[in-house]
Amino acid sequence: MNDFVLVFKNLFRRKLRAGLMIFSIFIAFAIFGVLASFERAFNAGQELAAADRLVTVNKINFTQPLPYSYYGRIAGMEGVKRVTFANWFGGYYQDPKQFLITFAVEPRSYMDVMAEEFDIAPDAQAAFVRTRTAALVGETVANKYGWKVGDRVPLSSSIFSQKNGARSWDFDVVGIIKPKKPLIDTNFVLFQYEYFNETRSFAKDTIGWLVLQTTSPAINDKVIKTIDETFANSPFETATDTEKAFNKAFMAQLGNIALIVTLVVGAAFVTILMIVGNTMMMAIRERSREIAVLKALGFPGGRVLRLVLGETLLLALIGGLAGLGAAALVTTAMRESLANFVPGLALNAQIVVLALALMVALGLATGLMPAVNALRLKVAAGLGRG
Amino acid sequence: MSDHALVRLEGVTKGFVKGQESIAIFKALDLAIPTGDFVAVMGPSGSGKTTLLNLLGGIDHVDAGAITVAGQRIDGLSENALARYRAANVGFVFQFYNLMPMLTAAQNVELPLLLTPLKKAQRRTHVETALAVVGLADRAKHYPREMSGGQQQRVAIARAIVSDPKILLCDEPTGDLDRATADEILGVLQTLNRELGKTIVMVTHDPAAARYAKRTLHLDKGQFFEKDLAA
Amino acid sequence: MRPFLLQVAAVTLINLKSIPQRFWLSLSTVVAVALVVMVLLTFLAMSYGFQKTLSGTGAADVAIALRGGAAAEINSAVTRDQVRLIEEGPGIDRGADGRPLTSAELYLVVDGVKRSTGTKANLPLRGVGRDGANVRKGITIQAGRMFAPGSNEVVVGKSLASEFAGFDLGQTVKLGTSQWTVVGVFTADGGVFESEIWADAPAVQSLFKRENYFQTVRARLESPAALASLKQYVESDPRLKLDVKTEQDFYAEQSGQTTDLIQKLGWPLAIAMAFGALAGALNTMYSSVAARAVEIATLRAIGFGGTPAFIGTLVESLLLSVIGGIIGAVATWLIFDGFTTSTLGASFTQVVFSFHLSPALVLQGVGLALVVGLVGGLFPAIRAARQPIVAGLAG
Ligand SMILES: Nc1ncnc2c1ncn2[C@@H]1O[C@H](COP(=O)(O)OP(=O)(O)O)[C@@H](O)[C@H]1O
Ligand SMILES: [Mg+2]
Repeated sequence: MNDFVLVFKNLFRRKLRAGLMIFSIFIAFAIFGVLASFERAFNAGQELAAADRLVTVNKINFTQPLPYSYYGRIAGMEGVKRVTFANWFGGYYQDPKQFLITFAVEPRSYMDVMAEEFDIAPDAQAAFVRTRTAALVGETVANKYGWKVGDRVPLSSSIFSQKNGARSWDFDVVGIIKPKKPLIDTNFVLFQYEYFNETRSFAKDTIGWLVLQTTSPAINDKVIKTIDETFANSPFETATDTEKAFNKAFMAQLGNIALIVTLVVGAAFVTILMIVGNTMMMAIRERSREIAVLKALGFPGGRVLRLVLGETLLLALIGGLAGLGAAALVTTAMRESLANFVPGLALNAQIVVLALALMVALGLATGLMPAVNALRLKVAAGLGRG
Repeated sequence: MSDHALVRLEGVTKGFVKGQESIAIFKALDLAIPTGDFVAVMGPSGSGKTTLLNLLGGIDHVDAGAITVAGQRIDGLSENALARYRAANVGFVFQFYNLMPMLTAAQNVELPLLLTPLKKAQRRTHVETALAVVGLADRAKHYPREMSGGQQQRVAIARAIVSDPKILLCDEPTGDLDRATADEILGVLQTLNRELGKTIVMVTHDPAAARYAKRTLHLDKGQFFEKDLAA
Repeated sequence: MRPFLLQVAAVTLINLKSIPQRFWLSLSTVVAVALVVMVLLTFLAMSYGFQKTLSGTGAADVAIALRGGAAAEINSAVTRDQVRLIEEGPGIDRGADGRPLTSAELYLVVDGVKRSTGTKANLPLRGVGRDGANVRKGITIQAGRMFAPGSNEVVVGKSLASEFAGFDLGQTVKLGTSQWTVVGVFTADGGVFESEIWADAPAVQSLFKRENYFQTVRARLESPAALASLKQYVESDPRLKLDVKTEQDFYAEQSGQTTDLIQKLGWPLAIAMAFGALAGALNTMYSSVAARAVEIATLRAIGFGGTPAFIGTLVESLLLSVIGGIIGAVATWLIFDGFTTSTLGASFTQVVFSFHLSPALVLQGVGLALVVGLVGGLFPAIRAARQPIVAGLAG
């Protein structure tokens, strides 16, 4: 026997009570794990953004178009290493409810700028540049619809139509885009801008936004200034920002998700803090005679304090780890179905570390009062109590 | 008072404050208990018997006076120093056994050894020896609820002696037991005293129990009266 | 029957009187239930407020025509020729001057800044026709005046002006490449239009280089029933590849996805938390039963039945959880009812809405509290009723 056995036996002497406390801690940490994963997925765009990447959009709003000519003009500017652009297609597959994130892009430059993120087979890269009707399909989409290289898939647009009046375009799948790092989202489809531009019925020679790489993050501010000043007072003024700031501003439009997460998690934790804290107070009060005996046997105050805190820590760890495990299962189960809203939903190491810290904090907080009571307990008085 | 006294009380004063009034239990009490003694303490209820044991065990404090155990002054020690003193020198036996219900007999006996640097295997031998001394070697794996009162008290005695303390403090150890069982327990204590030389202070209100001791002290109105053998 | 009721009353009283002995534990149950109800009601109030804003927009006798298949205004496109054809359609009400009450509109997204966070936000700039305000019902200029046709003037919805910076009356804002002056603030019966910027359609067309190009056409119908004839007219003309529906239906469809999402988040979270609170309630009630073991056993020995012990325990649990539920509902009402915020709507623009707690929602919250109280009291109550008398008397 050792102190751990003592702690363990103390905790589980009332199995129902311990079980109920563990269950409520389990719930709180499951909620924490799931919500923290959601928040992280929402912010993944910010965290994964490359430091040397800038985004240029129309100054009115990023949904407004820019002229195609900006692509060439920005490419020639000082400090710009590479530039590419994309156009939002408003795509869906078969049913408008099955919307698909689809971009028309300039193939070579897009793959170059995103080379750090996406793993695309060399022959697929070549085919994407060569074939007019080529499409690269993200792994997530390919898995969802079972598309393979060589398939011909029709994608419709809720915005554009072809000159011949058709609402859908046929594409040849030439490759699958795989993520190079965890959390990178592949829930999208890319196709050739040229094919799109020549066939669409309106808005010819306009593009959605530009993505560029600077020669060094240190000159980001200078490049931003150069671009925006160049196009100032033109019919198409630009707003350039780092990819990180752009993604952050975009997510902020949805509302204050972090605040909602914090409030709910806070409510859940206050709940268990009260439940577990009070139950432990009661448990220790019930055991004051035994604690007095331990002290009479010569257990010093610090040791008694440790035994009580050990009990609440053990409680928090058992419930917390189980809850975190459940959160991992839940997020994995939801990942596919929520890919369109929150891509890259996953419980990561950072959340686990934070959760562990919370478990320790919870264990100490709930054990503090009972432990101090146990420490203060006068042996003679404790023994005297029936 | 001999110089080789294990326990020495000199001018011990102790009282309690109960609400408005304060009651004095001991006033300038002196006592000496030599090593190897077996003292029975008798006296009316409320006379301060338990308080005396608490003072000797270092779980209560004197108001004035000195208590010396094994050459060490224990009055005025810090709580932690007192805890160390108890772990090293004192074994308690209570009227209601006070065993941990979720621990087996062996684990209960092992508790005081957790305060020593002994290794697991050494602890096991100590526990086995202690249980053998009280005649419960075969009950090591039993829980308190699976044992009779007398057996539980024997486990408690094993727990009190397992770390080989200098003095055993027993507060009405047979108060909750029938005559026959009480005699068994008292026999165990007597053996501990006679064969292992343990110094024992036992509080009891039972004259039959007191006869197992070498001498009996009567506590009344804060003073001791040595029992006259003729009385 | 009477003695039975007396027994129940006696045991219940013993239960309730013993609550102070477990004050902190009982309080923790009350707080836990209150927090569960708060989380649920906050989400429901958010969802309901959003839905109310959208369903309060548009009328059954206003028709909206969008390009076939376009679910949102931003994705729609209507040509000037199509606008003219719609104006000639049947069932459209006429204004005092005898012309059909229609409004061909542009819908553009411009950048604004949210006051509360200082972050960029997508705001809708709507270029409306001459009759834009008359086609709709309930549009009232609250301050200032309507914009003058052909001018760089805008009127802004009341919600937009309060949520986003720079739209106070008289202020000049840069939208696109030109400056616009805010000349009026309007209300729209709390609907989505209150989150919009309105300007003269021709002015928007020329300043944003969108000549001959609209997103939608609105038309005031003679009656809601007139929609059918207008619809038939549009369907029979091959030049009009447009969808026609009432404005009311159009906005109601838009609320679906967002309110769904909020509810799909709110209920599972609240139910998960309710399980946590249930653990607390069970704990409290088992302690209560244990603490009253002697009293219950004594009563049973006197001749009381097991059922009163059962009911007494259940009543205690229900009381604690209902108190928690009510506290949760009142707290939600105090903190969140009327709380205004905005999120992205279907047209990719900010929709300002207020949390709204309705009596029906409060009932759902208190209902959840009752379920927690019922389940949390049931098992301990069974234990109380079944407790062997002798063991209880032993204490
Ligand atoms: N912690 C205490 N506070 C107040 N009075 C106490 C306390 N402990 C003991 N007493 C009082 O001191 C007296 C002696 O108690 P105690 O030593 O337990 O007596 P005994 O064991 O001889 O029956 C009693 O009157 C008792 O009420
Ligand atoms: Mg006593």
